[in-house]
Amino acid sequence: MTLEALIRSALDGDAAAWNEIVDRFDGLVWATTRGYRLSAADAADATQTTWLRLVEHLDRIQDPERLGAWLATTARHECLRLIRLRGRELATDEADVFDAPIDQAPDRRLLTRERDRALQRALASIGERCQALLRMLAAVEPLSYEEIGAALGMPVGAIGPTRARCLEKLRRSPELVSLGMP
Amino acid sequence: MDDPDDTLVSELREYFARVDPVPLLVTEAAKAALGWRRLDADLAELLSDSSDSSVEAEALAGVRGVGAPVRTVSFGAGEVTVELEIHVEGTRRTVLGLITPPSVSTIEIETADSAAEVATVESDGLGRFRAPLPHGGNIRLRVTSVDPGPPVETSWITI
Repeated sequence: MTLEALIRSALDGDAAAWNEIVDRFDGLVWATTRGYRLSAADAADATQTTWLRLVEHLDRIQDPERLGAWLATTARHECLRLIRLRGRELATDEADVFDAPIDQAPDRRLLTRERDRALQRALASIGERCQALLRMLAAVEPLSYEEIGAALGMPVGAIGPTRARCLEKLRRSPELVSLGMP
Repeated sequence: MDDPDDTLVSELREYFARVDPVPLLVTEAAKAALGWRRLDADLAELLSDSSDSSVEAEALAGVRGVGAPVRTVSFGAGEVTVELEIHVEGTRRTVLGLITPPSVSTIEIETADSAAEVATVESDGLGRFRAPLPHGGNIRLRVTSVDPGPPVETSWITI
């Protein structure tokens, strides 16, 4: 179903259509909020606000094909608001994916754990802007450049070169060099 | 040969999928959001939020506590405006509000969590009201005036 049709059905109260919209975009919204280094709890709040905002404005979405960019813009706004509201130290008071020790799930193989730790440390060393960009580029459903531009408030033309620079920084980090990653 | 940048991005994609998937509760909350849709009220859009002003935000982040500015938020739907002051004390929140034009109204404050709590207060003849809330979260206000006309419902805000 097209997004336009899904939105129309959701406006008629069709929960299945709404759920499909959520399934298509919740990775995008989550990657955006996590890109802003919010704690898991704050990221959950910002994500929920984003979806509640969409419900409020569902009958006013002008261009359904740009819904991803609309959600990314809205999520960015909510993140910045929360960061300002709580202050930096509160926004990151909880373990987050960039700082937290990787959990030691028993089924996770040793090699994977080592790689995860190396990636975690390497990501922590490349700066917040790069971390956010890579979090969004490497989302399970990757954000388009237009969506990333909306999520980061960055001109679309700057994303390609920034991506290359951030990946280069990551690749040159001692953690990845010693691991012999691509 | 594959582009090394693409290979590294694939590696990162697997990493994030392993260590930071979308939490189930987050997806469930998103799916539940449709249930908060209301068709019987006028939406009062967010007009201003002092937390969007960086000067005050810096003060908030830096000072906090005594003398820290209070967050003010305003909403509007046609002629009606709803202005709020949000006071934070630990986990508790106190919302002081003013409705203009002033009217005696019932104000229901909904919290978008699974408990879906609603706090109900009345405004006085000057449109003023006060609502203590046990915790923060996403809230919205539904204002039903004694005057005729549909209720007004504010956009959601996180407090």
